[in-house]
Amino acid sequence: MLKVATTLRLLPKQGNQVRFLATAVGYKQALVNVPPTRLTVLDNGFRVATEDSGAPTATVGLWIDAGSRYETSKNNGVAHFLEHMAFKGTSKRSQTDLELLVENMGAHLNAYTSREQTVFYAKCLANDVPVAVEILADIIQNSSLAEPEIERERGVILREMQDVESNLQEVVFDHLHATAFQGTPLGQTILGPTKNIKKISKADLQNYIKTHYQPARIVLSGAGGVEHERLVDLANKHFSGLKNTALDIPELAPCRYTGSEIRVRDDSMPLAHIAIAVEGAGWTDADNIPLMVANTLIGAWDRSQGGGANNASYLARAASIENLCHSFQSFNTCYKDTGLWGIYFVAEPMQIDDIVYNIQKEWMKLCTSVTEGEVDRAKNLLKTNMLLQLDGTTPVCEDIGRQMLCYNRRIPLHELDARIESVTAQNVRDVCYKYLYDRCPAIAAVGPTEALPDYTRIRAGMYWLRA
Amino acid sequence: MSHVPDVKLVFKRLLSMKSGLNISKWRARHFSQDVDRSPKNSQKGSVTPLPPLSEPMPHLPPVAYSTSKSEDSITEVTVLSNGLRVASEKKFGQFCTAGVVIDSGPRYEVAYPNGICHFLEKLSFGATHKFATRDVMLRELEKHGGICDCQGSRDTTVYATSADSRGLEAVTQVLAEVTLRPQLSAEEIESARQAVAFELETLSMRPEQETILMDMIHSAAYKGNTLGLPKICPKENVHKIDRGIILNYLKNHYTPDRMVVAAVGVEHGPFVEYVQKYFVDMKPTWHTDHFEKFQPKVDKSIAQYTGGLEQEECEIPLYPGSDLPELSHVVIGLESCSHGDPDFVATCVLNMMMGGGGSFSAGGPGKGMYTRLYTNVLNRYHWMFNATAYNHAYGDTGLFCVHSASPPNRIYDTTLVIARELANMAGKVGDIELRRAKTQLQSMLLMNLEARPVVFEDVGRQVLATGKRKPPSFFINEIEKITAEDINRVAQRMLSGRAAVAARGRLAHLPALQEVQAAVAGAGARGDGASTNHGRKINLFRN
Repeated sequence: MLKVATTLRLLPKQGNQVRFLATAVGYKQALVNVPPTRLTVLDNGFRVATEDSGAPTATVGLWIDAGSRYETSKNNGVAHFLEHMAFKGTSKRSQTDLELLVENMGAHLNAYTSREQTVFYAKCLANDVPVAVEILADIIQNSSLAEPEIERERGVILREMQDVESNLQEVVFDHLHATAFQGTPLGQTILGPTKNIKKISKADLQNYIKTHYQPARIVLSGAGGVEHERLVDLANKHFSGLKNTALDIPELAPCRYTGSEIRVRDDSMPLAHIAIAVEGAGWTDADNIPLMVANTLIGAWDRSQGGGANNASYLARAASIENLCHSFQSFNTCYKDTGLWGIYFVAEPMQIDDIVYNIQKEWMKLCTSVTEGEVDRAKNLLKTNMLLQLDGTTPVCEDIGRQMLCYNRRIPLHELDARIESVTAQNVRDVCYKYLYDRCPAIAAVGPTEALPDYTRIRAGMYWLRA
Repeated sequence: MSHVPDVKLVFKRLLSMKSGLNISKWRARHFSQDVDRSPKNSQKGSVTPLPPLSEPMPHLPPVAYSTSKSEDSITEVTVLSNGLRVASEKKFGQFCTAGVVIDSGPRYEVAYPNGICHFLEKLSFGATHKFATRDVMLRELEKHGGICDCQGSRDTTVYATSADSRGLEAVTQVLAEVTLRPQLSAEEIESARQAVAFELETLSMRPEQETILMDMIHSAAYKGNTLGLPKICPKENVHKIDRGIILNYLKNHYTPDRMVVAAVGVEHGPFVEYVQKYFVDMKPTWHTDHFEKFQPKVDKSIAQYTGGLEQEECEIPLYPGSDLPELSHVVIGLESCSHGDPDFVATCVLNMMMGGGGSFSAGGPGKGMYTRLYTNVLNRYHWMFNATAYNHAYGDTGLFCVHSASPPNRIYDTTLVIARELANMAGKVGDIELRRAKTQLQSMLLMNLEARPVVFEDVGRQVLATGKRKPPSFFINEIEKITAEDINRVAQRMLSGRAAVAARGRLAHLPALQEVQAAVAGAGARGDGASTNHGRKINLFRN
């Protein structure tokens, strides 16, 4: 009963995924057997959205339309720095008071920063929701930003940087963004360069809060045991004082995509970690659904899975039968006006050439000859994955918050279902032809990369002189 | 004079070149904001004939939402004619998780080459008599939006699927097929062999040590018997295990009296019917097979806690690209109690109170920052990278352990600090820390049960062990009742036994088992905090 350690792999994997694998648009159990998502907008533009399931636990959180994309090369890293300062005390309570309050409630307080979103959320017993909302309001409005804490946190962030360096998947995705969106804010890392972390000041932090934490850009999202009216009351109590300093909401510049590559060759590493991507669609683009279906068709695999010969994905079959790589994972990362659609894989040096050939073969098949049967299967898998992902209050809360920021609504399940259902093989071919066929890929590779084909050769694999 | 404009042009060019070369000016550019055209925009425009995702799709049928509240669910249990138990629980929503929980795992492998259960995990959801290949079976599941997974612990194996509850019959059939009528063709066994070999290779290449260490501490605690048998298939057995051995194991262990078929989010009546049809009326494949040569009895022995040392001197892989130092790992274990024991809940509260984690683990408040392994250990000894408490409870015994990691030259201090912290459990328990641990355990319990697969596993495991399921509210109340005396009692009980130690990495500085034992037991007998602290001072700085 009180077993914590093992949970079945039927549970969605969460965690650092949010940084880049934000594939799911959202889906929820049965088409009629779901509580509705209710939305209220306060006078200052602050949005409150909930899905009340009456559970004994709840997740409430603030989703803010701000992230490293809104930074310049000079203050890159501020958003993330602020996330770190959030739990360091406010004008009302010290860091220890805050920590003890949360720990004694048996609650969890968490925060993360992505390229376009900053999130603070609390998971707690349903009875403690009012306290949780008060804490969230306190940390984003009254963060004390004391100088000694800022100094201490610099060290912590530099330390975290090393941790990120040790996660090769994150390193590769940072390089991928750096090359694909070179010269634009999306190419920046979330943590920011060391020199910025060393000099970010209290004024920088305050300035960022003033510019970006505006009520019209914040969503209070709640799931589990949360009553909508009560949450709206709480929002009125704690957030109605926020004012929009409307005029200086920065206009988001479009981020230009550049087909290009970065190779960080290190022959002392046993395995090469490589990502290849093309420019995908923005959040709201209707093409996103067929792109996700295409993504599901390529799938994911790692060699400890076994039985890959029966995997729904052709690439997984090839990989398992011909021993092409250690693992691969296709991804579709969205931003407001652009995205990255591609694949990440880990392979031994002598496997690289073969796996790249196989990936591109599958990609070209998507553009030219994918069949209805394959697409139907992928649609089913996609629906299943989205549906099962929304188990528990935190995934639901996260889904509401993200969708409110991306779409300014939560897509009802039956609509999402209808959208996925409407995808045809022709639609997948059209969309892949548009985004994939004869496009310049962005490539990031770390490790023993000598055997990775030259850029021009990979580029030449992006079309077929047949079919 | 005609050359004048040319000169101007040349000047202009020179100037522009200069500004182009001026790096600082380049840096000051506001990224793409000064790129006046956006070439992508021209080719944008979606090729999907639907409005953008931010707008509703037209012509959708109206939908009635439910406003249902979660009712306190009752678990219904039915025992079928052959002894098979069927348990189910209703739950809000149209998705169900169903599966089979089997009293099977490495603890029963004593008469066989170890590693069968590791193979079975890899072989799970393969071809069966009804479904010619894994692909056919997966397609059947996919039709109902289903996914599947098999996971084993030392004493339980779980086959589970999540799918639309309208597909319950198909799902039940799949479950019966994969557990009772698998084909286990030579080809499948070869690919499982490969997957196991790959996994062993991956395990040895990764810096994370938890999986290996848990096998080692169990092996130290239950030397050569039941729970001490490895969960990871030993290298030398990868090529030894064959179809005959696996089938023999299945015949003996996948029997109705050792199985529970459980589901969450379904109606009990129809579910029992389907189970009867596919699990009882249709026989397992080994029903007719005979194995004359090799007929071991099912291992029914009770776990014998031995204590002792299990160590492996080796190089632990570093985290790539990071400057984290090389670490050595030590786990100290003590015998706790079974999950049926009256002291089980108190042991869980104690586990929560010890808490701990990694010294650089991410996450905000709520991860147990005020648990003892943080406040007394990680916050004090900066060279320690990890200190985490675990409690493994089984049907007949339990293992309480603390995992710690530090650079190899600190491993002596690390081991003794942890040993004394364990001894300290018999000392004073503060009201505030007890209250906190109880609340955290209660909320963790409820939060875990948000997810359907967790509820399923809980139902299955409890029914397998006791024949019924106690609801979460029962445990919430039990936790509430725990007092400081209870904590002291279970701590005394644990500390009176022998210690088990598992260590991996560079171990030149590892203290002898007797020294660990003395540190654990010595202070435990005195049982007061003051002398414990005293002891810490003397020993810690001795070398």
